[in-house]
Amino acid sequence: MLRREGIAALVRRLDNEPVIANLGPATFDLYAAGDRDANLYTWGAMGLSSSIALGVALAAPDRKVFVTDGDGSLLMNLGSLATIARQAPPNLVHIVWDNRMWFETGGQPTHTSTGTDLGGIALAAGIKNVARAGTVEAFEEALDRAIREPGPWFIHVDIEETGEPRQRPKVVVEENLVKFRRTFTSA
Amino acid sequence: MLYNPPAMHWSDVVIESLREHEVWYATYVPDAINWQVLSKLEADPAFTVVPASREEEAIGIAAGVYAGGGRAAMFMQSSGFGNTINGLAQLLTAYRIPVPLFIGMRGGLGEFNEVQVPSARPIPAILDTLHIQHYAPQREDEVQKYVDGAIELAYASRMPVAVLWYAQLVGAKRATS
Repeated sequence: MLRREGIAALVRRLDNEPVIANLGPATFDLYAAGDRDANLYTWGAMGLSSSIALGVALAAPDRKVFVTDGDGSLLMNLGSLATIARQAPPNLVHIVWDNRMWFETGGQPTHTSTGTDLGGIALAAGIKNVARAGTVEAFEEALDRAIREPGPWFIHVDIEETGEPRQRPKVVVEENLVKFRRTFTSA
Repeated sequence: MLYNPPAMHWSDVVIESLREHEVWYATYVPDAINWQVLSKLEADPAFTVVPASREEEAIGIAAGVYAGGGRAAMFMQSSGFGNTINGLAQLLTAYRIPVPLFIGMRGGLGEFNEVQVPSARPIPAILDTLHIQHYAPQREDEVQKYVDGAIELAYASRMPVAVLWYAQLVGAKRATS
């Protein structure tokens, strides 16, 4: 399956729920699925998207919070899985698109290409709800469970990287933050 | 009045300032100096206190709390400051996310561990280079003015602002043999 197919399946299920997107293709594909105020796009601070999402989940316990991460980025901040497990926010859904490469820098293989299992690490870190999907149908099934049942959830998705050309979103990061925050403070 | 009430300990001054400014979240990597604040915050049900595995992660969580409509302060020791740079630059500064930073400064007066020295000494210069304002109260009777002022400034400027705790205020850690 493709990342954009997974993101389309996620976006179809959303109302005002926040989505934090990892830098690079996760941000590009989330924007391409339709810009919304409750999307927070990241462009740097590689590795921190799940940490940001944990903070959002703690500050807004009445909303399901989604983060779409990547394998290369999560490998940079594996401690985040232990911190999420320790806090155990029931409203957090951590999705990782695993393309087994650092795509943005030229497709160098990441450690998941040689067998490192991010879902296994999440489970060992203490996150109880871990699912793995390699097809759109399996991903939708895991996602629907994660929406229905308390988390934290970790959904590990094996994707194919097509390298198709992407249009860079026209986003001013300060404005993005202000709009995103307003979805919580003006509700 | 003949009776002078005992002054509040600096850690209690910090807690009252956080309360006053509705900073109900704290993220941290432990530090013996900041623990004087954090241990009391953890015991207070009004605050949500989140220990992280690494300093940059604690910055990310604090940024997320703000993005989600709350306010979070971040606490660390000078030895871990180097781990925060990318989060300070690419997240807090780029997105204009205010986070009060409290840094327990090792490496100064009375330091026994030489390795602490080169990581602490450049912190004010690095903060200057990042355009992050920083303040260091030297006496107990200055703490309220500095901490209230730093928190106020952070939210007014929508930027991180750092408060540095030096041995002059909090005392030096003693070597344990």
